[in-house]
Amino acid sequence: MEPERQCPRCGRKIPWGQTECPFCSEHQGYLWSMRRDTFLGVVIVSLILLFIITGMVVRRYHAVERDLAQDWYSQGEQALQAGNAGEALADFRNALTYSRDNSLYQLRLAQALVATSSLQEARTYLLSLRDRERGNGPVNLELARLAVREHAVPEAVQYFHDAVYSEWKGDPVVQRRAVRLELVRFLLASDQQAAARAELIGVAANLPPDPELRTQVGVLLMNAGGYDDALRLFREALAAKPRSAPALAGAGECYFRSGQYAQAELYLDQALRRDPKLKQASAMRDTARGVLDLDPFIRWLGEQERERRTRQAIDQAMTRLATCATQRGIDLHAAGGDPLQTLYTQAAAIQSSIRQRTVRRDTEWVSNTMDLVFDIENAASQACGEPQGLDLALVLIAREQEGARP
Amino acid sequence: MSDTLATPPRPAGGSPSGARAAWAKMRQRIGWEPERETLREPHLFLLLAVIIGLISGLAVVLFRIAIDWTRLTVFGSALTPPPTRTVLVPALGGLVVAFLVIKFFPRARGSGVNQTKAAVYIYDGFIPFNTVIGKFVCCALAIGTGQSLGPEDPSLQMGAGIASALGRRLRLSREKVRLIAPVGAAAGLAAAFNAPISAVLFVIEEVIGKWTAGVLGAVVLAAVSSVVVLRLFLSEQPLFRIPEYHLVHPAELLAYAALGVIGGVASLVFVKLIASVRPRLKALPRWSQYFQPAVAGLLIGMIGLRLPQVMGAGYDFIDQAMHDEFAWRMLALLAVFKILSTGLSFVSGTPGGMFAPALFIGAMIGSAVGSVEHHFFPWLTGSVGAYALVGMGTFFAGFLRVPMTSVFMVLELSGNYSIILPVMISNTIAYLISRQYQQTSLFDLLSRQDGMDLPSMEERREEVTLHVEDAMRPYQGVVLNPDDPIQLALTEAEASAEVFVLVKDGPERWLGIKKGDLRRCAPLMRQDDPLRDLLPDTTLPYLHPDQPLDEALRRLGEWPLLPVVSRADLGKLEGVVGLSDVLRAYRAAG
Repeated sequence: MEPERQCPRCGRKIPWGQTECPFCSEHQGYLWSMRRDTFLGVVIVSLILLFIITGMVVRRYHAVERDLAQDWYSQGEQALQAGNAGEALADFRNALTYSRDNSLYQLRLAQALVATSSLQEARTYLLSLRDRERGNGPVNLELARLAVREHAVPEAVQYFHDAVYSEWKGDPVVQRRAVRLELVRFLLASDQQAAARAELIGVAANLPPDPELRTQVGVLLMNAGGYDDALRLFREALAAKPRSAPALAGAGECYFRSGQYAQAELYLDQALRRDPKLKQASAMRDTARGVLDLDPFIRWLGEQERERRTRQAIDQAMTRLATCATQRGIDLHAAGGDPLQTLYTQAAAIQSSIRQRTVRRDTEWVSNTMDLVFDIENAASQACGEPQGLDLALVLIAREQEGARP
Repeated sequence: MSDTLATPPRPAGGSPSGARAAWAKMRQRIGWEPERETLREPHLFLLLAVIIGLISGLAVVLFRIAIDWTRLTVFGSALTPPPTRTVLVPALGGLVVAFLVIKFFPRARGSGVNQTKAAVYIYDGFIPFNTVIGKFVCCALAIGTGQSLGPEDPSLQMGAGIASALGRRLRLSREKVRLIAPVGAAAGLAAAFNAPISAVLFVIEEVIGKWTAGVLGAVVLAAVSSVVVLRLFLSEQPLFRIPEYHLVHPAELLAYAALGVIGGVASLVFVKLIASVRPRLKALPRWSQYFQPAVAGLLIGMIGLRLPQVMGAGYDFIDQAMHDEFAWRMLALLAVFKILSTGLSFVSGTPGGMFAPALFIGAMIGSAVGSVEHHFFPWLTGSVGAYALVGMGTFFAGFLRVPMTSVFMVLELSGNYSIILPVMISNTIAYLISRQYQQTSLFDLLSRQDGMDLPSMEERREEVTLHVEDAMRPYQGVVLNPDDPIQLALTEAEASAEVFVLVKDGPERWLGIKKGDLRRCAPLMRQDDPLRDLLPDTTLPYLHPDQPLDEALRRLGEWPLLPVVSRADLGKLEGVVGLSDVLRAYRAAG
């Protein structure tokens, strides 16, 4: 016997022994009276209609999502520009809710995370972005900046290099150069002058004829110790724009750092005429002048002038010694083992014995006196900090002399 | 049963017109007879599976959009909604949902998996279409207004409901109508998860309980069709951005084992919470059911003030946890409060599923374990995201007790086979802990609380299958040769303790004769006549020790006993088995 079963239409129990549901056989609906093939056809047509309706709904839904994402992103950008990184963070998170895989939103979120010092999370975002787009320039640059913040030098350099060779939207040449210059600044800050110089030589080889840019690269090259290359760039900049104060100052500084004080004084003086606010150039020019005025080793000097300069140098050194001793609370007249006291005793002896004829008789006197001057300046530098003005000039003369000695 | 159903004859009309005659001629030419059903039932079943997959996929797409739109409407578009809305919206949503469920859609309440199982095992595949509408509306409202539930279980039931409606309307056979609901369930779940393999496995593992080629084909077709629709309309990408996984060091597997223990214990706590609170709330007066979801919503809203992540399905936050965006303390807090809020939502009778919350809790636990490991043993650990991924499978295995699905779900989501080792270790530990301390699985527990005794798939999996070797005994007699003289055969048979004597004819053929028959017939024959003359012509069926005992019952028929022979040598007798031996074995197995 057929067991009791459920009516497939209404779910009621069909009584024992009956094959049809008594309720449904009384209430035949149109759909239920339809033949199977016909119903299948109706289902397929309905399916097509449902596809169309769903498509329309989905399109509308995606449009709403896009708008929301864009709105949140715009708000985030504004907040980020206003320096409100916390608010920007929430906005970018909201934007990503509606456009989860948008690389730009993820990048901005990572930037906001960096700004709020959530470095680990930022790194995770950036790394996941990098996994998806290994050659994404901005992502590699952000990773490099993150590594910079964490003082991870090799990692930062690696990411900077990846960024240089990655894809960039807009003008890739300009963007890559900017990344390279950022890398150079980081290398300089990390005391990696040689690596910075190597990068800069590459940059300098492909610079457009823009005097500002050449000046900018020249300054970096100069800081990296590439004075000749830097000087070439400053000269090229000056050829295009002769009155450029930064280029004149840069050229002057190059000459100054390479010990060519006459040219340095000339360029720095011109730079200061164009822009008197260049404080560093002004100090450097004064130092250069000091070197030129104090150096007793210049060949064409007469004996009297040489002796005058030597005396001026020893006087200047004694002044520095006295100032430094006062600063450190040392009595120079008292006997003791302090190097400053020893140097003072030697210098006082030399000062008292200065006679023109002595000079004439003793050809070594100038160099011996100047050696003592250099010792005093070096000792004072070590004890009381970097020298300024004429003292700096004396130190520079000393260094030049040391370099000239066999 | 006939494959095609008889169609009632059409009433005879008037004489056919010219157009009708032409149409009839054309039909004859192409061989189409509209009076007959075009498709035989097995073919129709497969076609229907595809159609069900497509419709279920569309339904799930619309369902997900409905949830999102509800959320946008009531909470606004920010991830963290304003505080007033956070507290009030889930409560008000709960009130509306409770009213709808009680007044219009009573079947929308409860577990969709169990309702699909009930349709298969109790109601001949019947799921009223009203349930589909109810699930869609109520669950979209509940999840959209912040109840801590997920869309997978409702999607599963919507698929099953759509399938049931189509199967019934197309007048499929009773057996096929029963099977069509799980086909739809697989389609709904596959679209909800965007993971067809996991959905197919889940339905096989938890709803159907067995692998049969006929159903499997339809289930796979439906799941694939629905996922194709989903990916066409929404996204080809998985629910979360999947992190990369590399096993940094084999010792890291210990960390995954620890994750298994924590996940197992957490899942156990969750099941115990539901098991103890749900019957108490169900026992409260009927009027209180109008307010239970609202109270749950209010409490969830209050939790949401501090932890808005626990509201709704929480996929966005799973994604964030996978990408190391939370500290481990926050992750642990989220896991604890998600257990609490999902428990509240579910036991209050709010319709919605627990798959997404289970994934959420698992991801939080996994990420927390990963973060802690990362903190203390940075040289050992891989990404926190990998732990989150494994954690999802672990909690799933312990909570829903579907070990196969949980493993394949993680593999399918990650698309990375190398994650299999940690997943297997962690899932197995969680599953074993859950089984050890909670005898009944969650689905069985819920069905029993609802007064139904649905077949437990877990128990079915664990059933001990008896084999012939469990019932067979040594043959206590002599194996006769058919060419032996009858007198000798009789003498040897008399010495045998068996009532049925085996005869070996050649290397592989077995015959047999009852001792009584031999005794009765032997005096009628000459003494040197061969035994063969007395033997029945029918070959005796034989068995192998490893065959199921059911097979012995089927083959025994009228034979008093059957030989059990070696598979390597069909002439080598290993023992015998009779009906009494079979019954004894079944009795002994309990």
